[in-house]
Amino acid sequence: MMSASVFSEVPDIDSLHIHHLDEVNVNGQALKIVRSSLPLQLFNETEINNLNASTITDVAKHFAGVTVKDYGGIGGLKTVSLRGLGALQTGVSYDGLMMSDIQTGQVDLGQFSIENIAEISLSNGQLSDIFQPSRMFASSGLISFSSKMPEYKPEHSFSGEVVAKVGSLGLINPTINLFDNISKKWGIGLITNGLSANGEYKFAESLNNSGTNQTEKTRINSDIKSLRTELNSIYRITSVEFITLKANQYYSERGLPGPDILYSTFSTDRMLDKDYFAQLHYENKNSNLFQYQISGKANSAFMEFSEVNPAYQDISDNKRIDNYLQHEYYLTSTVQFHPASNLSVSTSVDWIYNHLETHSNSGLSVDASPIRNTVLANLAVKYVTDQLTIAANALYTGTRETTQNGNAAPNRDKISPTLSFSYKLLSEKELRIRSFYKNIFRLPTFSELYFHDLGYVNLLPEITNQFNLGLVYREPYISLFSDIEISLDGYYNLVSDKITILYGMPYSSIRNIGSVEIKGCDATLKFDIPLRNNNKLKFSGNYTFQLAQNKTIGSANLGEQIPYTPFNSGSGSISYLCKKFEGGYNLLFAGKRWNGQNISNNLLKPYIEHSLFAKFKFNKFKLTSEIINLFDSQYEIIKNYPMQGRNYRLTASISL
Amino acid sequence: MKTKKIFFSFLVTAASAMFLTSCDPTSGEQANPLISTGVFVLNQGSYKNNNASLTYYDLIASTVTTDIFTAKNNRGLGDTGQDILKYGSKIYIAVSQSSLIEIIDAVTGVSTKSIPMLNASNQPSQPRSLASYNGKVYVTLFDGHVAQLDTTTLTIQKTIAVGSNPEGIVAANNKLYVANSGGMGLVSDSTISVIDPSSFSVLRTIKVVINPVVIKADSYGNVYVISNGNYANIPYTLQRIQAATTEQVSIIAGTKPLNMNIDGDNLYLYSYDLDANWNPTNKSYTIYNVKTNTLSKANFIASTAITNTPFSIDINPATKDIYIGETDYSNTGKMNVFGADGTFKFSFQTGVNPCKTIFITK
Repeated sequence: MMSASVFSEVPDIDSLHIHHLDEVNVNGQALKIVRSSLPLQLFNETEINNLNASTITDVAKHFAGVTVKDYGGIGGLKTVSLRGLGALQTGVSYDGLMMSDIQTGQVDLGQFSIENIAEISLSNGQLSDIFQPSRMFASSGLISFSSKMPEYKPEHSFSGEVVAKVGSLGLINPTINLFDNISKKWGIGLITNGLSANGEYKFAESLNNSGTNQTEKTRINSDIKSLRTELNSIYRITSVEFITLKANQYYSERGLPGPDILYSTFSTDRMLDKDYFAQLHYENKNSNLFQYQISGKANSAFMEFSEVNPAYQDISDNKRIDNYLQHEYYLTSTVQFHPASNLSVSTSVDWIYNHLETHSNSGLSVDASPIRNTVLANLAVKYVTDQLTIAANALYTGTRETTQNGNAAPNRDKISPTLSFSYKLLSEKELRIRSFYKNIFRLPTFSELYFHDLGYVNLLPEITNQFNLGLVYREPYISLFSDIEISLDGYYNLVSDKITILYGMPYSSIRNIGSVEIKGCDATLKFDIPLRNNNKLKFSGNYTFQLAQNKTIGSANLGEQIPYTPFNSGSGSISYLCKKFEGGYNLLFAGKRWNGQNISNNLLKPYIEHSLFAKFKFNKFKLTSEIINLFDSQYEIIKNYPMQGRNYRLTASISL
Repeated sequence: MKTKKIFFSFLVTAASAMFLTSCDPTSGEQANPLISTGVFVLNQGSYKNNNASLTYYDLIASTVTTDIFTAKNNRGLGDTGQDILKYGSKIYIAVSQSSLIEIIDAVTGVSTKSIPMLNASNQPSQPRSLASYNGKVYVTLFDGHVAQLDTTTLTIQKTIAVGSNPEGIVAANNKLYVANSGGMGLVSDSTISVIDPSSFSVLRTIKVVINPVVIKADSYGNVYVISNGNYANIPYTLQRIQAATTEQVSIIAGTKPLNMNIDGDNLYLYSYDLDANWNPTNKSYTIYNVKTNTLSKANFIASTAITNTPFSIDINPATKDIYIGETDYSNTGKMNVFGADGTFKFSFQTGVNPCKTIFITK
C-alpha cells in the first residue's frame, strides 16, 4: 500500500523507453538499475525493512563501495563516504532536493527513521536521469531517499500506520504516518517520529593494543531525545503535472559521549538541534517535447554545543556553550527538451544562499558571519536507444562570499564535466557494459574556512576525478532463480587538493594538502528463489575492495592506506518472505584498517556483525523482533568509539 | 549453475579476505627489557587517542623499546602524557586526559600506583606538570590548582588554588613557582604564583607577560619563564625572575623561544615560525648563559638538523648530550641526540609527540 512514492517516480527517458519494451513482467526498478550508465544501487521498502536497519545510515552499510563511519550508540554521528572519496563529498537528496549543512558539510542522516522511507538509493557520480536540478550534479556521489506517500485509490482515501519500537539502550521510538487523499487530485501526509533512549551500553574496553587485557565499561552520556514531524502535500493537476509541498521540523537533544578515554569516565558534551525546512516543487511533463520543474526551499538549522570542563575557570559553571545558526534559501528550475525521440537535453539553473552565525561564551570563536551566494548552471545531453545510452553534462559553479568580520573566502568559478555511457552487449540479454568519468569538487565548509583559529579562508575546493568501468546484468529467471541482478565495477578515483587538518602549536590549521588515489572494485549480487504460494527466499550481497592510498608528495604517509578505509568490506542478506511471516539474517563485515599512520598502534581489527529478524504479520498488525550483533562482537569502526554489543529491538505496527 | 558459481566464488573471496586480514601479525613489543643506563621519553600521544606512551632507549645496548609502559604493565599509559619526573626510586607521570598520576618503579618499570586526579565535583582536574622538592612531588592541575603528593605514602596530601590553567612548575629558593597560563580562558592569565612548600600556601603572585607556560630555574635561584603571548601581536617572550627577594622580572630580548631547558650555566632554547603552509620554518637553537646573562651561542645546531617540528628539549646531565624530540603531530616521532657542541650523534624512533626525556644512570 505504501511502497509507492510519487516523489521518487521521476519518469525520464529511460523509463519512457521501458514502457515501449515488449519484455514481459519487467520491473521498473530493476531496469532503472541495469540501464543506468552510472552505478546505481537501490533498496525498496521491503528490502529496507529486512536489513536490521533503523536509520538511513544502517541501510547505507549494505551498499557496495560505501564506508560508513559509525561512532556508535543511537545518537552517534554516522557519515557516509563513497569509494574512498571522503564523507563530505557525498551529496544527500531527500524527495528530489538536496539537503545541506554549510557549517560541517555533513547532513545528519540519523534523524530519518526508516519507518517513513519508501526508497533509498546510492548513485556513484550522479543520477543517470538528467531531468534534475543542477545541484544534484554537484557532488561526487549521491544518497537519495524518498518519503512514503500513497497513490490515490478511490476506495481507500485514508491510510496510515502506527509503529511502536522499543529496544536495548532504553530505546522508545514511536512513529505515526497518516495519509489522506482528500480528492483524486489532492493528497496529504503527516509523518511523526519520536525517539528517546538512555543510550547506555556495556562494552569491553581494551587496556592494551593487542586486546589481551580487557575490562568491562559502560558507555555513558549517550542519551538522546528527538522529534521529527513532517507534512507532505501533493496536488496532482494531471498524472504528470503536480505540485508538492513539504514542511519538516526536527528537534533533538543528545549527549556526545566522545572517545572512550582510558581510566576516565568523564563525558559532558551535549548537542541540541532545532531544524526547520520547507520545500515546494512544481513539475510539468504534459508535453513529450518539453518538460520543466521549479523548486524552492528554505532551511533554518540551529545547533548548540556545550561542554563542561573544570579548566574553563572563568566561564560560569565551567560550561562552554557554542551556538550555530544557519540559514539556506534555495531556488532551482530545470527544463528538458526532446528534440528527437532518442535525444534529450536538460538545462537547469540553481541559486543557493547560505549564512552562518556563530556565538560562544568561551571567547574561542569569532563570528565571521559568512554569507555565500552560489549559482549553479547545468547543461546535460542524453542519447538513449535500447542498446546504447550516452550522457554528458557540464556544470558551472560560481560562488560569491562575504563576511561581517575578517576576510571572506575568494570567489570560485568552475566548470565540471561528466561523461557516461552504457552499452548492451547481447541483443537478447540485459548484459551491459557501463562507464563514466566525472570531475567535480566540494567547496570548503564554513567551519573549514572560518572556525576560530582552525579555519583558513584561502582554502581551495577539494577536487575529485572518478573513472568507472563495469558490467551489469539482469535476468528475470534462470532455473530456480528469479530477479537476478549482478554488477561488477572497477574504479579509479583521484582526490586532489584534499582539505586536511594540520596539527600544530599553538593551534592547528587547515590546508589543501595532498592527494589520494583510490583503486577499487564493487560487486553486487541480488536474486530470489521463488517458492510455492508466492513465498520466496531473497538473497543479496556486496563486496568492496579498496586500495585508497595517500599520494601526497613528501608526506610521511606516502603510499599508506588512508584512515578508516578497509581494503575489504561487504555485506550479505538472506530473507524468507511469505504471507504471514518474514525472517532473515544480515551480515556486515570490514577487514583491517587504520585510524592514521599504518602502524599496529593505529590498527582497527576486522569485524563481522551478524543480525537476525523475524516478522509476523496478522492482517493489519505486524510484529518484528530483531537481534543485532548476535554474537556480541566487540568492535570499533572509529577508534575509541565502541559499538554496541548484542542488542534487541521489538517493533509493533498497525496499518490504518 | 553459472549464477550459483558466481555467488559461491564471491563468498569465498569475501571469506578469504577476512581470513587474510585477520591473521596479520601485530608487531610485538620487545619482551621485558631490563632498565639500566638509558633514557625514558614520554610521548604525549595524539589528543583523545589513548596513545600516550613511554619509549625506553638503552644507551649501552643502543636498543629502543617503543612502549615500555605497556610492555611492563600490560595496559596503556592513557590519554595525553604531559610530564615525567624521576624522584628517588620512582618515576612520576602526569597523564592529563586520563587525569591521573602514574607512578612506576624506576628499576622495574612496573606501576606502583595510579592516582586519579579528580576535583571536589569528581571532574578530572587534569595534571599538567611535575616538580619535586623536599620529599614531595608537586603537580599543577589545569583546573587552577597545585597538588602536593607525599612520596613515601604516595597519596595526595593537599591541594591549593593558584591562577588559571597552571602549566609549568619549578622549585627554586626554597619556594615553588607556578606559571598560570589561563590558556583556556577568555583572557589568558599573566601571573606566576609563588608557593611556600612548608606551609603549602601561595605567598604572592608575580606579574609577567601574558600566557606564561614553561618555567625553569638555574642553580643560582633565578627563574626563567616563557610566556606564549597571544599568538598575534604579543610574541613568545623569555623572562627572568631575579633570585633576589625583589623577584624583579626582566625580559630577555633577542629570542622568541617556544621551549627551553637548563643544564649548568647553559639555558637551551629553540624557536621556529610557521609558514603559510603551516610548516615550521626558521628553526633556530640558541644557548643563553645564565651566569653572564648573554645569548652565548646562536644556531649551535643547524636549522636543517631536524626535519619536522621540535617538540621537546632535555639535557643528559652526565654526558651533556642534548635530546630534541621532533614531531609532525600525527605520526610516530623521533628523538635526535646532539653532542654538547651541537653535532648530531644519533636518533631513535619514539611514540607520537615526544614531549620529555629523563635520564637513568646505573
